[in-house]
Amino acid sequence: MARWGMVIDLDKCVGCQACSLACKAENNVPHGSPYEQKRHQDMYWHKVIAATEGEYPAVNTQIIPMPCMHCEHPPCVTVCPAKATFKREDGIVMQNFRRCIGCRYCMVACPYGARNFNFKTQESEEYQRPDLPPDLDLGFASHIGPWPYPHRTRGVVEKCTYCFHRIDQALERGWEIGSKIDGEDGVLPACVEACPTEARYFGDLDDPDSAVSRLLASRTYMELREEMGTDPQTRYLPR
Amino acid sequence: MQLSFAPVQGTSRKYKILVAVLFALALTGVIAYIIAYLNGFRLWGINNSVTWGQLITVDFFFIGLSAGSLVVSSLVYVLGQERYKPIGRIAVFMGLLLMIGAMFTVVTDLGRIEKCWRLFMFFYLNNMKCLFAINGIFYAGYILLLFTYLAAALTGSKLTKFIAPVAVLWAVLVHMGTGAIVGFIETRGILYSPMKPVEFISAAFASGLALVMFLSYITLKFSKRPIDKNMFVSLGRMLSILIIILMVLVLVDKLTHFYPPQRESVMFLISGPLAWVFWLQVVLGYFIPLGILFNPWLRKKVGWVIAACLICVVGILFERAAIIIPGLSQPLQYYPGEIAGIWGARGGFPIMIAETLQTIGIVSLVGLLYVIGLKYLELLPASTSEHAQGESAEQAAPAAEGGHT
Amino acid sequence: MSQAATDKPDSPEPKRSNGFRISRRAFLGVSAAAAAVLTVVLALRRPKLAEPVETQTTKAVDTQQLIPTSCLNCPTRCAIRVRKVQTTAGETKVVRIFGNPNSTYSEGKCCSRSHVGLQVLYNPDRFQTPLIRTSGTKGRGVNFETDFEVASWEDAMTAIAGRLPTAPGRLLILEGLNTTSNEDLIRQFALAYGTPNLFVEDGLETDADREGKMLADGRSNSWYELQAEDETSTKYILAFSAGIVESERPLARNLHLWGELRRGTPNRTKVVSFDPRYSVTACRADEWVPINPGTEGALAMAIAHVILSEGLYDSDFINNYADGFNKYRTVAMTQRFSPESVSEIAGVSADAIVRIAREFAQSKPAIAWSGEAATSWPYGTFASHAIYCLNALVGSIDVPGGIVYQQYPPYAVMPTEGLPITETGISFQKMAELLRDRGINTAIGFNSNLIMSVPESKEGGKWDETLKNLFYVHIGPAKSEMAAYADVILPACTYLEDWGYESAIPGSGYAEARIKQPVVEPRDESRPTARILFDLTSVTPLAGPFSPVPSTPEEFPLAFAQYRTSPFIGWVDFQSVGVWKGSSYSYRSYAFGTTSGKFEFHSDHLERLLNVRLPGEDTVYPLELAIYRPVLEIRSGSQNFPWAQEMYLVMHGRGWKNLVEINRETAHEYGIGEGDEVIVESVFGEIEGEARVLEGMRPGVVAIATGQGHFASGRFADGMGANPNDVIGTEYDEESGQPSFFATRVKVRKA
Repeated sequence: MARWGMVIDLDKCVGCQACSLACKAENNVPHGSPYEQKRHQDMYWHKVIAATEGEYPAVNTQIIPMPCMHCEHPPCVTVCPAKATFKREDGIVMQNFRRCIGCRYCMVACPYGARNFNFKTQESEEYQRPDLPPDLDLGFASHIGPWPYPHRTRGVVEKCTYCFHRIDQALERGWEIGSKIDGEDGVLPACVEACPTEARYFGDLDDPDSAVSRLLASRTYMELREEMGTDPQTRYLPR
Repeated sequence: MQLSFAPVQGTSRKYKILVAVLFALALTGVIAYIIAYLNGFRLWGINNSVTWGQLITVDFFFIGLSAGSLVVSSLVYVLGQERYKPIGRIAVFMGLLLMIGAMFTVVTDLGRIEKCWRLFMFFYLNNMKCLFAINGIFYAGYILLLFTYLAAALTGSKLTKFIAPVAVLWAVLVHMGTGAIVGFIETRGILYSPMKPVEFISAAFASGLALVMFLSYITLKFSKRPIDKNMFVSLGRMLSILIIILMVLVLVDKLTHFYPPQRESVMFLISGPLAWVFWLQVVLGYFIPLGILFNPWLRKKVGWVIAACLICVVGILFERAAIIIPGLSQPLQYYPGEIAGIWGARGGFPIMIAETLQTIGIVSLVGLLYVIGLKYLELLPASTSEHAQGESAEQAAPAAEGGHT
Repeated sequence: MSQAATDKPDSPEPKRSNGFRISRRAFLGVSAAAAAVLTVVLALRRPKLAEPVETQTTKAVDTQQLIPTSCLNCPTRCAIRVRKVQTTAGETKVVRIFGNPNSTYSEGKCCSRSHVGLQVLYNPDRFQTPLIRTSGTKGRGVNFETDFEVASWEDAMTAIAGRLPTAPGRLLILEGLNTTSNEDLIRQFALAYGTPNLFVEDGLETDADREGKMLADGRSNSWYELQAEDETSTKYILAFSAGIVESERPLARNLHLWGELRRGTPNRTKVVSFDPRYSVTACRADEWVPINPGTEGALAMAIAHVILSEGLYDSDFINNYADGFNKYRTVAMTQRFSPESVSEIAGVSADAIVRIAREFAQSKPAIAWSGEAATSWPYGTFASHAIYCLNALVGSIDVPGGIVYQQYPPYAVMPTEGLPITETGISFQKMAELLRDRGINTAIGFNSNLIMSVPESKEGGKWDETLKNLFYVHIGPAKSEMAAYADVILPACTYLEDWGYESAIPGSGYAEARIKQPVVEPRDESRPTARILFDLTSVTPLAGPFSPVPSTPEEFPLAFAQYRTSPFIGWVDFQSVGVWKGSSYSYRSYAFGTTSGKFEFHSDHLERLLNVRLPGEDTVYPLELAIYRPVLEIRSGSQNFPWAQEMYLVMHGRGWKNLVEINRETAHEYGIGEGDEVIVESVFGEIEGEARVLEGMRPGVVAIATGQGHFASGRFADGMGANPNDVIGTEYDEESGQPSFFATRVKVRKA
């Protein structure tokens, strides 16, 4: 059983936000509005933050892409009363919309702000993803299940899923999964695939030959908010 | 002293207006909730930073008040202190109603209320590591106990001797559990503390006692029932001690977090943009009531004591709010430095109409049940003289109406 | 007869008080029953424990295709593949955009803007039918629903035909961002019609830069190769106010190679950024050197001074391929261009200049990259030239990792026999003069964005007035500010619905062609621009030939593209691969187009670089305005795309508007705090915005991102932010006629 992880090379990242946009497109994450952004009610499964230190002219801004960290010890999983969020065997922290009661305790507990609450019923978006599951094919009840598209339901919490649908599809069809140091990459989450500088890597942390394992072994890596003890599986290579 | 209890007549104009107003507010609350549910909670002040708002604040507040009320009732039913008997039943009743109100707030705060049953699937579908789930067991048992306790108290049954201590201890467990919900979250510096459960129950004691004192005094006064001023003064002394204990706990908690390296949370709470919530907690909840209750002249005057109680209750409401609003508003420091824009901004919490109406509605619902309960249950000590009753302008109904005393 | 309950022990009768019956037995009975029912229910239901939901991939779709085509959200025109699905319910949806690995230009990578293509296609504010104006005011008061009436294509064409001037010189053609194939057709149309007044809006930002380079090598197709292949990869990049990873073309290639050059080569490329603001490029570079705006050219000369004085130049290249070098060296080595003198003008320490000059010269191959901000000045051509000459000094011309001359696919010829004119194309300055002198009375815009991109764009300004007086035909897919000035609107289809071809713009050296093929049929009544042009030619008599192939109007776009690409690729191959790559680039050809046949060092006007003067008194307008393009400014004529809007400014974590960015000390001096509403005022006008106070800005400089301040683009862009062009005045670069966008002083005050 693989243990999926992600490595983001902050030295290569240029803050273009192709990752955030690809995530929006792939997962049909709805866009917000100026009002919603002011109220902080808009949804981002993936965000890119800019953290600045220093005084002119010695300014230093770190541009850090942040998907869900898919922690080994996820605080969100511990606090979910309905078992709507759970960590799969292969490491992905999943969100089951059928179970989620919208109590938002997981959002209080997440140290990375990775979770979003669905504050309204989304209007039908032109670029809906009719090609993505739910394969339950229940039409009217298509919000049931672990995925929010194409119909989203208000009142539940959503977050990045490491594009589990791609991984599952690859597993089913026997395709390779993960970045490769040499040769062509296998199936990747949308953000990793879209990065033009190739700053992101995805793969099996338990496989010593995978690109992620090799990268983590070759350079100092860091985790965000390490002191929280969450042991995130999304790690960063600093500049 | 044998005390007899009697319901209020409930026929006066004032009473009917009160019921009507409370009913209207409660109905407004229900409508506000339905609108918010159908439109999505974008109508509330909550957002992706401050994910809990007025409702959870009132939830914590009410659970605390409920637990505190029960502790007051324990003076009568556990410790057998006769002098507090006049307010014993009110305390139990308030305990029940406040808990019902709290459950309303919790359940209507859920994004999908139709799935609220999932909170009670203990060990089947619940993650029992989650404090909501554990608290679910506590709350469910607590409500059953409350009904039983109230029934026992109203009928004067012998079971009260057994149920009361259980209920009271269970109440302590309930509210410590509530405190644990926030206390065990490491992500939020303002919330995180092993002392939160103890702090919560201590706040519950103080605010519960204060509310019971205030509400019972008001009720007794407006229903022209006998008021034992000494009882209230002595309860006032008890309240002052409880407030001191609470103050000490809060102080120790904040002081612990004051020392480096983890200072940002405390600094945000006491000197950040939302610090006024914390300072209202301290001033209204502790300083002013203590000022009154330790003042050698004022503390003997029932009017002042009751005023101190009301102020304390409001202050403790701000204590709950300080956990939620500044507590969740503090921006998460994903990485050292100033995080630009919306990702580094502190969470805002505007007061939105739908949420406010719903909160007021639930509080009004509790009030409504209280007022109706006064009429149909024997909660209040009966008048000492029938003359006093007969002279009352509210004596409009003929005796055949139902045989009120 | 008191019926009050007492605290006596239980009496045998059930207790009663008014209206409330407590029967303990009943209560317990009911409770027990409820508990029993619940237990039974739970036991029977036996809900499953939370199990992970693993494989869930049945067919929600009947077919899905990956269709190769190319993007057009910026001039880079990257090759992409677009995923289209057809659902079991019969619905067709375009759902994803990916790069095309067959394109080596950027190794199959596309930038963040490409994903916004979905919103370009499904833009809810697209034109669905041709529209003819019947009433209303042009410009800011426009109401597309009521000012125009829906017309058929025939009627719209008739309306236009009646208004095209018989004197061809009275027609102005505005060319926004179009496909290469449409550009070729627009040009052919202008030639065949006989009007020399073709204005390519891209020149608004590139004319001066190109002119400066052409002064040196006589070529218009030079660019920075940024190679990362082998030991000849670029070792040093000296960026002069160049947003290499934000806005400089070809962006996707820059982004991809950034990763390679910084982490994928044995010798990590060093990047130094001279920039008045802490741009994303400056942030990612190894060194940010804050400079005064407009001093890039002077700095380049100071660096040349050091290189020349210390003899660090590439004598091999200079001796064999340089002209005018001696005069240039004399001028450059004068005291005026010494690091000490320039340091005062530029605000950079002399030591830093010396150090950087040495590093630059000794890290071969090194590139000096002149950004848009460095050349948008009244002397921008010379700034561009001075910076370009640095590349020559260190031997980076026509070498791997240095400057290359882009090759283009060998398209089949366009007809030339019988054309009334052989050249078309005017500068911005010339266009402004013609309009001012009323030489032009009619204009056709092809996806034009002019009014948003020109200086003095404000309401009531001269561009607003001028455009109102023209008969203007707008050809474009969506609502836009230029469409607000239109008399006739023809809905063109978006780039995802179009036939055509694209040539890779300068950057790779080797030629690359990319196909444009429709992923879906044009929506509503929109038509390919090629077809619109073809139809125009049939209602308007042209003096010369237009189409190189016989065709019906409907088939023309495809037929044209097929014809033009036929010499080098079969159409079926092109459709499936999406890309054609030319032969490898041959370096060191040194095929300069100058009169001397060599790389010419011009030195006549270099002193201009030392005099940075701007309109506006510095006592009244003490600050300098610098505008910039963030990466999510979509160049395709609209910004009505919510994904691009909501995460618009990554360095500031904000979207849906632009900000007035000021240094913290400067802001403090003027009493401005973070988030304050402020007014930015110049001699030309004023705009309002929200202040952003930060460390990453040179004191005295105000920066505002472009791309906002729309008023007719649709629901996701209108009324958001402000257009800094409203306060920018018109000065022209003397050589190229490009407007200088940075030549404005401003003052900022709280609103």
